[in-house]
Amino acid sequence: MIKKRLIFTLLFDSGKFVLSRNFSLQHVGDLDWLLRNYDFKNIASHIDELIILNIREKNKNFEKFCSILKKLSKEIFIPISAGGGIISEEKVNKILRSGADKIVCNSIIRKNKGMLKRISKIIGKQSIIGSLDLKLIDNNFFVFDNNSLSSEQSLDDFLKDLDTDLFGELYLNSVDRDGTGQGYMIEMVQKFKKLNNFPIIIAGGAGNWRHLLSGLKNKDINAVSTANLLNFIGDGFKQARIELTKRFDLPKW
Amino acid sequence: MKKNITIIDYGAGNLISVQNAIEFLGYKSIISNDPKIILNSEFLILPGVGSFYKSMQKLNKLKITDAIKKNISQNGGKILGICLGMQLLASLGTEDKKINGIGLIKGKVIKLEKITKKILPHIGFNLIKTDYEGGLFAGLNQNKFFYFVHSYFLKIEKKENFKFSYCNYGGNFISSFESEKVFGTQFHPEKSQKNGLQILKNFIN
Repeated sequence: MIKKRLIFTLLFDSGKFVLSRNFSLQHVGDLDWLLRNYDFKNIASHIDELIILNIREKNKNFEKFCSILKKLSKEIFIPISAGGGIISEEKVNKILRSGADKIVCNSIIRKNKGMLKRISKIIGKQSIIGSLDLKLIDNNFFVFDNNSLSSEQSLDDFLKDLDTDLFGELYLNSVDRDGTGQGYMIEMVQKFKKLNNFPIIIAGGAGNWRHLLSGLKNKDINAVSTANLLNFIGDGFKQARIELTKRFDLPKW
Repeated sequence: MKKNITIIDYGAGNLISVQNAIEFLGYKSIISNDPKIILNSEFLILPGVGSFYKSMQKLNKLKITDAIKKNISQNGGKILGICLGMQLLASLGTEDKKINGIGLIKGKVIKLEKITKKILPHIGFNLIKTDYEGGLFAGLNQNKFFYFVHSYFLKIEKKENFKFSYCNYGGNFISSFESEKVFGTQFHPEKSQKNGLQILKNFIN
């Protein structure tokens, strides 16, 4: 049987890796900082997949982002997904040539389906992760837009014309829990049940291994992710993996 | 030790990841689509993601198909096909339209939906089983988890001199095969952590 996955998501902005809390950003460190504080050569023993997101593409740091991606992918032999500001086929190619296996698309899945279709045709839907940031307003979920920092479309409306033939997985991030370490907003997943076992990655809110475990144990979730750069620092992933493995059947190395 | 390793470039797949993994193991490799280089390489790696039909057309057009066959039959080279690359080593592909494969193993490539009701593509880490030890799996323990991304599988007509491993995803399918000179993995060793690196190491040694 296919195994559920533990994913580490790195958020990158203007040359630095950042910690995001409810989508406000704190710069933590550069690549040297990351390599010093996380044992990257061995990190793949404790996580099953790596996602790297260039979260403020408007700062025009795409080249720098690709060079970081290239360096990280040289020594990590697990699937790597990358995205942020993917607005052309050319950028997709560049990201894939820099060592990513899959791309992560956010705004184009809502705003430019033509582009998404073209990309899906070239690289295959299994290589595309659709990413959604969800915000809870008066007990209803809304899709949060990273560029305008507003939530205009309700999740129900979004789901009405969602074409799951265009990507292979969905990455759901809770804006409300993002970076808080209070645990996942598991309720988000309920709305996606009608997609019939479509692979769901949950993100936003994991602060410790118990939170990761709560996501893994949910039958509608296929992978759990954390982008918390400080909560799993040092050998944090190693320790988390040990605790998770005692309680959940993850891939063993 | 110096090895003559060529990663075959026909415009499909994650060549860089494969090259990174080979380099991590301490070997140099070249990425090439030159039939002369392919003909004379000690170790060939055929990666691939994409369509069987289009990839085969490209390999034929670049005269790579003949170079591979001649190298394996006359020059003593070994080949490892990865994912689509493994499937291309078969005699027949049925993805899109029917087309002959490279034909180093007798079998055809068919849709996974014929054997499983589960969601496709089959993506993620899955456990494989072998009924033999050594070979590609030398040095591995029972936790043989590997990373898969595919919607098709290889169905073998004759077992001949090959040994196989199997994976289950709603139905059993061949996850790898090996003979003295011809090797294939449906999974991605270059994305399967230390298990995968060990497979690549075993192939080269």
